[in-house]
Amino acid sequence: MRIVVVSAGLSVPSSTRLLGDRLAAVAAPAATAPEPGPADVEVIELRDLAVAIAHTFTSGFPGRALSDAFEAVAGADGLIVVTPVFSASYSGLFKSFFDALGVTDPDALAGKPVLIAATGGTARHSLVLDHALRPLFSHLRAVVVPTGVYAASEDWGAEGLDGRIERAAGELAALMAGLSTARPLPRRDSFEDVTPFEERLAALRPAG
Amino acid sequence: MQFGIFSVGDVTPDPTTGRTPTERERIKAMVAIALKAEEVGLDVFATGEHHNPPFVPSSPTTMLGYIAARTERLVLSTSTTLITTNDPVKIAEDFAMLQHLADGRMDLMMGRGNTGPVYPWFGQDIRQGINLAVENYALLHRLWREDVVDWEGKFRTPLQGFTSTPRPLDGVPPFVWHGSIRSPEIAEQAAYYGDGFFHNNIFWPADHTKRMVELYRARYAHYGHGTPEQAIVGLGGQVFMRKNSQDAVREFRPYFDNAPVYGHGPSLEEFTAQTPLTVGSPQQVIEKTLSFREYAGDYQRQLFLMDHAGLPLKTVLEQLDLLGEEVVPVLREEFAKDRPAGVPDAPTHPSLLAGARKQEGARA
Repeated sequence: MRIVVVSAGLSVPSSTRLLGDRLAAVAAPAATAPEPGPADVEVIELRDLAVAIAHTFTSGFPGRALSDAFEAVAGADGLIVVTPVFSASYSGLFKSFFDALGVTDPDALAGKPVLIAATGGTARHSLVLDHALRPLFSHLRAVVVPTGVYAASEDWGAEGLDGRIERAAGELAALMAGLSTARPLPRRDSFEDVTPFEERLAALRPAG
Repeated sequence: MQFGIFSVGDVTPDPTTGRTPTERERIKAMVAIALKAEEVGLDVFATGEHHNPPFVPSSPTTMLGYIAARTERLVLSTSTTLITTNDPVKIAEDFAMLQHLADGRMDLMMGRGNTGPVYPWFGQDIRQGINLAVENYALLHRLWREDVVDWEGKFRTPLQGFTSTPRPLDGVPPFVWHGSIRSPEIAEQAAYYGDGFFHNNIFWPADHTKRMVELYRARYAHYGHGTPEQAIVGLGGQVFMRKNSQDAVREFRPYFDNAPVYGHGPSLEEFTAQTPLTVGSPQQVIEKTLSFREYAGDYQRQLFLMDHAGLPLKTVLEQLDLLGEEVVPVLREEFAKDRPAGVPDAPTHPSLLAGARKQEGARA
């Protein structure tokens, strides 16, 4: 089992990354329980890929480092995605990563459990989870975990965040375990599964 | 093996002077470039087809017919002919006419086009791109092989008792390449017909080109046209040369940085590391081009993009001198080495005619 954390935090250290790490720390052992070993966790910091992400749009293909990140995401059993709130929504870098992924591999997130999380300076933006992130990942045909986790600055010194992390990470783990029994998802490789040309021709032939 | 050039026909300001050529200047420059290609010993000139500014070549057979009249040896081709939005009947007629005028010195490359609005401008739906390519080419294929065609399809008015004229020269249809950058469906189409497959790899990393070409080769063999190694493959390339590689980089950088397709993106150094673009000495161009064979196998046609991004005509002609004098002779020699005996050359009118006569002889 493998969890990939996608963090769009920009500062070092970043509370966005911190939230991603906290979620992964709870989800990793829960996803494999009762097995003793936790799920593998890989963290992708979008800051390190910022220029490569932009170049995907100007060049039309992802560079090596970004391709590796896309492969990690596509191969994950569960995703934890965390963005800071910028201008009442996810950050542009966060959206650009998933735009570039969608151009390269439109099915990368299909059927994949995704835990959505966000950080912000105030709790006033907490609906960003349900008004921005949830529709984005629904569009990408991911299975979005019911509980999203929003952490405002004040939450780091208040009660309640750990409980929300427990619940969301537990839901992700349950979905990962449940969906993994249904695997492998049929991911169609257009190079391996070519539609024979006669089928294409036949489909265009007028009836009768 | 054939070596040539392909032009997009873009009208782009020269970033070093700010000057934009007129359409007339650009059209005449394309002709001058084609004539130069023959003069320096290249084999092929191909023009793009576009229906929006800043591109001039909307009418490829007009241009190619004119060039045919002024050349002796050069094979005239397209890169690409829009099989989606052109009427296949008109393609059959126009290119058969060109074939006669050029004494068979032509072929053409089918493409879908990547400019969204061209589809509605020509009354088509871009979501049907693959289906249009499939149906229109199926009709074109018949129009050149059957004297009288009855036909009905999804996208075009039916035909009853239609004869496309002129009939192909010597009864031999022009050779067709299918160009596609990212659609396995088109590699499959090329394989089905035993036509050529051209992968315009100039903006793409090698591993992607490898997958497309491998698919085409495997399916070519599946359809019984020969071994995978006998499939007819063409590749693109993009180069800028000076004797001294630093001079090439210095001179080309402003054109690269402002180029319409990849400008304002990765650095020239990053792009040359990831794609076939080579900016340097003729020797570097030779080495890079020879490396294409490592992932595409022995192939039949190599076309270079030489005249884009606002490069002035004078510079392009100098580039063609270098290409013809210093690069292509070495490439011919090197590509011929270790080339398995069964790997064919790109089909030409004489080779196709000889093949047809041989078949007739076998039947008689």
